[in-house]
Amino acid sequence: MSLPARRLTASLMLSGAIMPLNALPAVAQEATGQAPSLAAMVEAGSLPPVAERVGEEPEVVEPLNAIGTYGGDLRIGLRGSSDHNHILRVVGPQGLVRWDPQYTEIVPNVAERFEVEDGGRVFTFYLRDGMKWSDGEPFTADDVLFNIDDLVLNEEFAPTPPRYTSGGEPMQVEKVDDYTVRFTFKEPYGDFLAELASPLGQHPVLYAKHYCSQFLPTYNDNVDELIAKNEATDWQNLFLQKCGDLEIPARWGNPERPTLDPWVIKEPYVGGTTRVVLERNPYFWQIDTEGNQLPYIDQIVAPIDQDVESLILGVIGGRIDFGLRHIDPPANRPVLAENREKGDYHFFAAEPPGGSNMIINLNLTHKDPDLRELFNRKDFRVALSLGMDRQEIIDTVMLGEGEPWQHGPFEDHPYYHEQTAKQFLEHDPEQANALLDGLGLERGPDGVRQMPNGEPVRFQVDVIPTFDPVWVDALQLVEQQWAELGVDMEINPMERTFFYERTSNSNDHDAAVWNAKQSWVAGQIPQMLVPVHHDSRYGIAWRDWYLSGGESGEEPPASIKERLRLYDEARGMTDPEERRKTMLEIAQIAADEFEVIGVAKAIPTYGIVKNDLMNVPEKMPSSWYYATPSPTLPQTWFWKDE
Amino acid sequence: MLFAYIARRILWAIPFMFAVSLIAFALITAPPGDYLTSFAATLAQSGDIVDEARLDALRERYGFDQPFLVQYFHWIGGVLQGDFGISFEWQQPVGQLIWERMALSVTLALATLMFTWAVALPIGIYSAVRKYSVGDYFFTTIGFIGLATPNFLFALVLMYVAVVYFGSDVSGLFSEEYKDAPWSLAKIGDLAAHIWIPVIILGTSATASLVRIMRANLLDELYRPYVTTARAKGLSEFRLIMKYPVRIAINPFISTIGWAFPQLISGAVITAFVLSLPTSGPLMLQALLAQDMYLAGAFILLLCCLSIVGMLVSDILLAVIDPRIRFR
Repeated sequence: MSLPARRLTASLMLSGAIMPLNALPAVAQEATGQAPSLAAMVEAGSLPPVAERVGEEPEVVEPLNAIGTYGGDLRIGLRGSSDHNHILRVVGPQGLVRWDPQYTEIVPNVAERFEVEDGGRVFTFYLRDGMKWSDGEPFTADDVLFNIDDLVLNEEFAPTPPRYTSGGEPMQVEKVDDYTVRFTFKEPYGDFLAELASPLGQHPVLYAKHYCSQFLPTYNDNVDELIAKNEATDWQNLFLQKCGDLEIPARWGNPERPTLDPWVIKEPYVGGTTRVVLERNPYFWQIDTEGNQLPYIDQIVAPIDQDVESLILGVIGGRIDFGLRHIDPPANRPVLAENREKGDYHFFAAEPPGGSNMIINLNLTHKDPDLRELFNRKDFRVALSLGMDRQEIIDTVMLGEGEPWQHGPFEDHPYYHEQTAKQFLEHDPEQANALLDGLGLERGPDGVRQMPNGEPVRFQVDVIPTFDPVWVDALQLVEQQWAELGVDMEINPMERTFFYERTSNSNDHDAAVWNAKQSWVAGQIPQMLVPVHHDSRYGIAWRDWYLSGGESGEEPPASIKERLRLYDEARGMTDPEERRKTMLEIAQIAADEFEVIGVAKAIPTYGIVKNDLMNVPEKMPSSWYYATPSPTLPQTWFWKDE
Repeated sequence: MLFAYIARRILWAIPFMFAVSLIAFALITAPPGDYLTSFAATLAQSGDIVDEARLDALRERYGFDQPFLVQYFHWIGGVLQGDFGISFEWQQPVGQLIWERMALSVTLALATLMFTWAVALPIGIYSAVRKYSVGDYFFTTIGFIGLATPNFLFALVLMYVAVVYFGSDVSGLFSEEYKDAPWSLAKIGDLAAHIWIPVIILGTSATASLVRIMRANLLDELYRPYVTTARAKGLSEFRLIMKYPVRIAINPFISTIGWAFPQLISGAVITAFVLSLPTSGPLMLQALLAQDMYLAGAFILLLCCLSIVGMLVSDILLAVIDPRIRFR
């Protein structure tokens, strides 16, 4: 199997660095085709003609297999509340740029093209002439300025996210003309385009100024009336109610809010609802190669099922046309495979971008000095790794799928680093015991080794059982395998919030389980190499030190400091080859230190798609940063005629 | 007499409500972390970065950094004015979220209660009168199965069978087209067509236990001298049983209405979850998990109110039905 992500060539990733990415001249394209319902409205005079709606420079998209036909609903299934990102993934983060379907390069999206200048400090985006919001109002540089200056950089609304700062200073945005905006950073920021392509990079074009500005006190003197009318607590709450934010349910809660998405909310995602419906955006700015306006599909319909079992039943019963999120654990595969004919669907492969399904982080900044001392001995960590029988775990709890792996990108990925991925994978209890003996950890009468202070070598591994059901099963085997080394590990399952509070916030954990599905490309955070993220559970105190600029947390050792420095450099680099080399340098240091213990390679999962749904790829990368499946362009999917 | 009694009961309920609301609020804020921790955990699960500065700013705006009592009085003060606060998760006023769901919950609870009584009373009477008959054993067996099977499991099995063998969908309370439609006669009809599934699922276990209670109580009464006397006086068997022993034996039914209300609403959470019912249960569960405290607090407060109202109803009905009860 060849993963698209594995073909990722670093040289393509930032090819926009020096030259404008879009080599084709910007030819005004005539849109001629449109959905019958919209044609009828044009006929009736209630909607402008399609060529006017898409503007002079719509994006021309070549559909995967065939030019589509209009009509039909796409039914997806939401799980309970807090599943708003499922909508985001299908409708897409329609940011200035996006990833191409293969996850190999960044292509223009809302912006018609872009330029990177001054060694990665200046980014210029050229917007599409005549492009419109979903209510027909023009989309211009003023909207981008409103988003950045009035909201992203407005401390009263929310603190500026780190992705819009560089060298400790927020970025500057200026309007060059109505359709050109320029972003300037203090220091080079090569990863900026990848940040914009991620689901959280949509800020610059999220809010329509003509609509959302009415909820800001700066623009509306009577905002208090609106606050009272909507029972909001303050203008910030009112704004979130009406215009949402990137990643909260309220983003899909207001049918009046103009968007740039292919489908816009019709039946909103609010607290009491049991289904969400989105209908086509009559002003959507993409057309196919024959001039037909996208999307092909009329509506996205998303009934809300409270739990995964009833989602699965929905798939089997044929109520769901496309599914990936929530249904893809290996355990569901047999029942879904068995009912393919009944449900009239087939599988597609969802491929992780690299890395590991399960890793164990020992807390190297533990509050208890004795455990900390122990965990910080590399020989101890190596012994634990050698004491694991990964093949047994894979055969027993992972249905035989996968292979032993520490973490990091796969073999055919340009970022592949062999030592990070493959050291200490063999099951060698003899050597493991020798290493533990070498540390002076004598076995007590009960067979459990003792630390110099006489306490047994005993620690808890925190884990969220509902996140990945395989984790607890695998830990039970690890528990037995480590017991043979004289190490007494206890499994400590807990609820999600409590886990997060205990590990990432309070640093109260001995050890914790997480996944490490990543390939270290721009836009992803290499949290298992450098402690810069709440998932870096081996060094939360070091992360605090890094994020606070040395004010809180704990000063890390030289090896970590060196990696943090290199990581900051890598983020600024615009030359892909240079960035790759720097990341591999970081990986080399991390591999020598061996802080993180992995179990098995992340294996592809699967999703289901109805047999009659066309233009859906047979495989797609599966990653939050890619926002599966939106870069495969669901707006080009269509229903085969009977 | 009766009115004074009711008035006194209602007055007593007020300080009780306050105590309960304080406990409810304390329980909701008891777990480590707050809504923002939970929010951050959700973001973490989707691979997102959580910016600590942003969380701290929100924490301050939501008032999570305030002492417990300040937060409590802020909340209860709002509630007294009909303002239940906002749901952090939905950024919506809690008031907008709860009423429709509560109404559906109460509808479901009442329907289940009626179903339970309609089935349990005749069967209980039959089982007592025809003790150790084939019918008695039959109903007893069915009853024990109903009691022993967890509701959510029954729901899952029913859903599986319906989807896999009959190709129909039994989840939810409405068909696709009525889900977000405004209320109309057609929508009510659609509700009636769907509600019997959760009613049967929820009703089975309660029915089983009520059958046993009815049977046992009635057996106690059936051999009392007054029954024999009445029979000797030539009263028809049916009239005799209904008029005297049943009237006494029904006492525990009435006195447990107060528990039945909140029990039906909170006890149905998992079943409602599995069946994706648009009732209060799933929303409350999610609010508790997310530590969305004003939303969770509103539900818990309403459940407490329902208990108190339920008790009141029980007491009044008991007083009306059972002549042995007198007010003082």
